[in-house]
Amino acid sequence: MPPHPPNLLTPPQTITPQTALLLSQKAPRILSSPPSGSSLPWPLSLLFSPENPSTWTIHENLLLSSLRTGDDASARKALDRLTTRFGADNERIVALRGIYEEAQAKTDKELEALFHRYEKLLRDDPTNFAVRKRRIAVLKSLGRTSDAITALTVLLENSPTDVEAWAEASELYASQGALSQAIFCMEEVLVLVPNAWSAHAQLGTLHYLQATSSSPPNISSLSTSLRYFSRALELNDSYLRGFYGLKLVSKSLIPLLSDSPTNTASSSSKRKDNKDKDRDAADDEDLPPPSLATVKKLEELATSRLGEIIRNYSSGRKGWTGYDEAEVIAARELLDRDGQVER
Amino acid sequence: MPFLAAALNVVGAIFLAHAIFSTHEHTSLHPLSPLPRDIPLELLLSLALLTTGIVLSSPPLKPIQWSHWAGKISREGPSREGYVTREGEEVLGDVDPYAYLGLEAGREGRRGFWGPREARERFLGWVKEGGEGVRLRLGSLWCEYT
Repeated sequence: MPPHPPNLLTPPQTITPQTALLLSQKAPRILSSPPSGSSLPWPLSLLFSPENPSTWTIHENLLLSSLRTGDDASARKALDRLTTRFGADNERIVALRGIYEEAQAKTDKELEALFHRYEKLLRDDPTNFAVRKRRIAVLKSLGRTSDAITALTVLLENSPTDVEAWAEASELYASQGALSQAIFCMEEVLVLVPNAWSAHAQLGTLHYLQATSSSPPNISSLSTSLRYFSRALELNDSYLRGFYGLKLVSKSLIPLLSDSPTNTASSSSKRKDNKDKDRDAADDEDLPPPSLATVKKLEELATSRLGEIIRNYSSGRKGWTGYDEAEVIAARELLDRDGQVER
Repeated sequence: MPFLAAALNVVGAIFLAHAIFSTHEHTSLHPLSPLPRDIPLELLLSLALLTTGIVLSSPPLKPIQWSHWAGKISREGPSREGYVTREGEEVLGDVDPYAYLGLEAGREGRRGFWGPREARERFLGWVKEGGEGVRLRLGSLWCEYT
């Protein structure tokens, strides 16, 4: 059970259908009274009904959650209020109207018509990034993933500091099976937001997927993955996904490392030879894999911390209820599987 | 604890006001003689009481180390700030500041690339699949939250 009722000001991160319904059921109450700052004529409104920015966040979230549940009448009202306040030409409003129309589109043909509308809007104003993103989202929705990737690369050429777009590109590449491109995009995300624990964990996941795509798994990719998960845990000391990844990677790394005890020595000497040759190559790829003892310790740490999280979450202890239920269940399954192997 | 803090604050404020009033009276009646010893003592006492009261009544401190702060968000989820907006939505404390990257599987994020059709399809699928059972489940949830 989430510790808070669903909230439109700070929408929950996991929106189950139940949550979506509860969020959109707030529509009548919010739409029944006029938004703040609008009830009085100009000079009086400054004095007596100060405008609160949270009003507009709530209206925007209400628009999105009403569209999700198919409550188009409420969505229209919320959109109209936002348009009255910010004007129909506001970049964000243009994109929100686009989202509204996308939700109404019944067939792919209607969606394509919308796509051409976006193209026309962009010919008039190519700097509207919100609409450029909508255009990519429509391509994705039409199933034209490779076109979406091309459009995204053009967007990123024009705006290389757009973290959201880099993350989207990484996911699209990963969905196409292009893991090294996905890793490149995630590394760009990391350059822009080096403290994001989720970005580190995502890179760890991608490296893990890359390592396990070959058989036997690639040791250097696995150790890179281990390092990224460890860094995620350095940034967030109770990160369930980080511990999960750490446990998973170290479990597959331990047999590989114990099979080849000389591996560490040989790869480190090789590294010295090649040092001058490929100084430009990515550093993490060249690092020797961690020692067996370290990996074993990390695995133990991950196991004990996962156990602690699962115990405290299931007993509903205060201060431990913020985790995602599905993630806790997955972690419990991972530990159970591990227990069976040992028995 | 909150009662103690409030009591300390009230008593401290009374002492402070009394000390100020006494100083004002003394200086207007005897402008040339120095202040009697008890007025500064009362002032110091009121300051000590008020300081303790304010520290005790302040909200709990937030972690200043990044990993502890982030860990607290993961463990506890958003905290309640204790007030609601005009629309009746509760104001919540810190949430994952990187949620907008949309990198956690199954969670919301990347608003700019949101697909309303897919979201709607998922919701309608749930409604169709649930039928009668859904309404019951909704009923209990609705009760839970109101």
